[in-house]
Amino acid sequence: MKYLKLIFRNVGRNRLRSLLTVLVTVVLVFVVTLVWSVLWLLDQVTTEKSQNFSAMVTERWAIPSRLPFSYADPLSRGAAHKPGDIQPLDSMTWQFYGGTLDAKNFTRENIIFGIACEPEKLATMMDGLNDLPAEQESQLHEDIAQLKANRQGVNLGHNHLDATNKRIGERLKLTGIGNFKGLDLEFEIVGTFPAGRYDTLAAFNRDYYNNELDAYAARNNGRKHPLAERSLNLMVLKVPDRAAFTRLASQIESSPEFSNPAIKCETMASGISSMLESFRDLIWGMRWLLAPACLVTILLVIANAISISVRERRLELAVLKVLGFRPYQLLILVLGESLLLGSVAGLISAGLTYGIINWGLGGISFPIGFFDRFMIPTAALWWGPAIGGLASLLGSFLPAWSARGVKAANVFSKVA
Amino acid sequence: MNLIAGLDTPSQGEIWVGDQLISTMTEGQLASWRTRNIGFIFQFYHLLPVLTAYENVELPLLLLPLSAAQRKQQVTTILELVGLADRMYHRPGQLSGGQQQRVGIARAIVTDPTAIMADEPTGDLDARAAEEILNLLCMLRESLHKTIIMVTHDPRAAQRTHRLLHLEKGLLVEQVNA
Repeated sequence: MKYLKLIFRNVGRNRLRSLLTVLVTVVLVFVVTLVWSVLWLLDQVTTEKSQNFSAMVTERWAIPSRLPFSYADPLSRGAAHKPGDIQPLDSMTWQFYGGTLDAKNFTRENIIFGIACEPEKLATMMDGLNDLPAEQESQLHEDIAQLKANRQGVNLGHNHLDATNKRIGERLKLTGIGNFKGLDLEFEIVGTFPAGRYDTLAAFNRDYYNNELDAYAARNNGRKHPLAERSLNLMVLKVPDRAAFTRLASQIESSPEFSNPAIKCETMASGISSMLESFRDLIWGMRWLLAPACLVTILLVIANAISISVRERRLELAVLKVLGFRPYQLLILVLGESLLLGSVAGLISAGLTYGIINWGLGGISFPIGFFDRFMIPTAALWWGPAIGGLASLLGSFLPAWSARGVKAANVFSKVA
Repeated sequence: MNLIAGLDTPSQGEIWVGDQLISTMTEGQLASWRTRNIGFIFQFYHLLPVLTAYENVELPLLLLPLSAAQRKQQVTTILELVGLADRMYHRPGQLSGGQQQRVGIARAIVTDPTAIMADEPTGDLDARAAEEILNLLCMLRESLHKTIIMVTHDPRAAQRTHRLLHLEKGLLVEQVNA
């Protein structure tokens, strides 16, 4: 503590250099924070939980997975047939749908991808929606009630609301695109999702979707829609723990009723990892090239600034030695300066990144897999100072070591 | 002087300062010994420009187990002794050469060392300031009984010493003052 004043004064000695070092560190910590925020969320969703396991059932041999909707009921019971068989705590069907507001000219803005599901499961089966703050939870429950009451209701994420310039209460008509061609759906927007992870999601009532699949045949002389027999894309099952999951997965995968097509049952984390497989190189590059490159640059910038500072102050360091400062005390003084610079810059950067991205921009837009927008986690508020501090400590170690080894007699012989 | 202050190591032989053999001490031990036993006055003062006169004098005390109040008391007393009580919170750049050297002297004696090494203490000063500094050093010698070892080219400074040694071609030659 006694040396803090000296550390502060030394940092303020060349204000322009300190300011530039801080600015560069702020920018680089900003980039690292953005990258780590994306990786953090991807790690979160691909890391196995120890409790409240979610299992994902998909088609075994095909991507995208397409299962008969008739699988939904037995799967919701975990293919339990005999006493002692395990049953999931809860389940949710996912039927994908994609449509556009403008069939003649569809753009990224007017295309909406959504899921047909049981509305009440949105609050219990969706990660991040089952542990909302009280106010958001109450709003979500209201929206779900509206969705249940209105068969043609849709809950639309904020991005879709903004892109389509629609408000809650307005209606929209989607023309099916791609595999969903011929399935045109009309909705009334009854609610939205809390800002963040589900900004690009649309969720609507599966009964309406399945009815429309049936109605397609009636409109087309009994010819069924190509998806009619395979409209269930995946099924999410909730189990209490890994042991229960292992039993359930074995039960489901060995059940003869799911043989055509065959299915696989894996943990949600493993399922999402498989879906992210096509982004493997991008994620690898972010994790092992971009972030480390930024960290090394911070390290070099700080090393350069501190090493200039040490070189300029060799005489002063020699004077401190004459006064009785020990080598390790000089080392601490120099490391302290760089730690101060780095951690302050990191803190400023993390605070600004958190505030600007989360409150100002509503997240970073970075479409990857079915994720679109990433929020900066609260943990980033300590990542910043930690990154800045650690990089500056490492970067300044050599200059600090050189300060530690200053030979007073040599320095003064040159002065004389 | 570097050898006596433990800033340099002898290529051969031993160095005793008082009853301490310093030539075998480690760098850390020497630093600790220097804090308590040696005060150093430089020709070019070598004050830290980012610190005030008060803070410069306080620097060596940071190495001793003293409370902030004790440090304050000691620094204030010493700055009054060297006549700089009214310049305590000035930075070196705001002080004259003579005043800076007085801060340097205050810094050298604030830990109450047994010996003071003065390396050309008047070398960078005009005649009047040099006289003031020499008076101050004599006062320290007489009233505080400090041993002062001074290297100088200044004959006026040499005249004020008790013992005078000439360095001639690398050899110390004693000369008794008249």
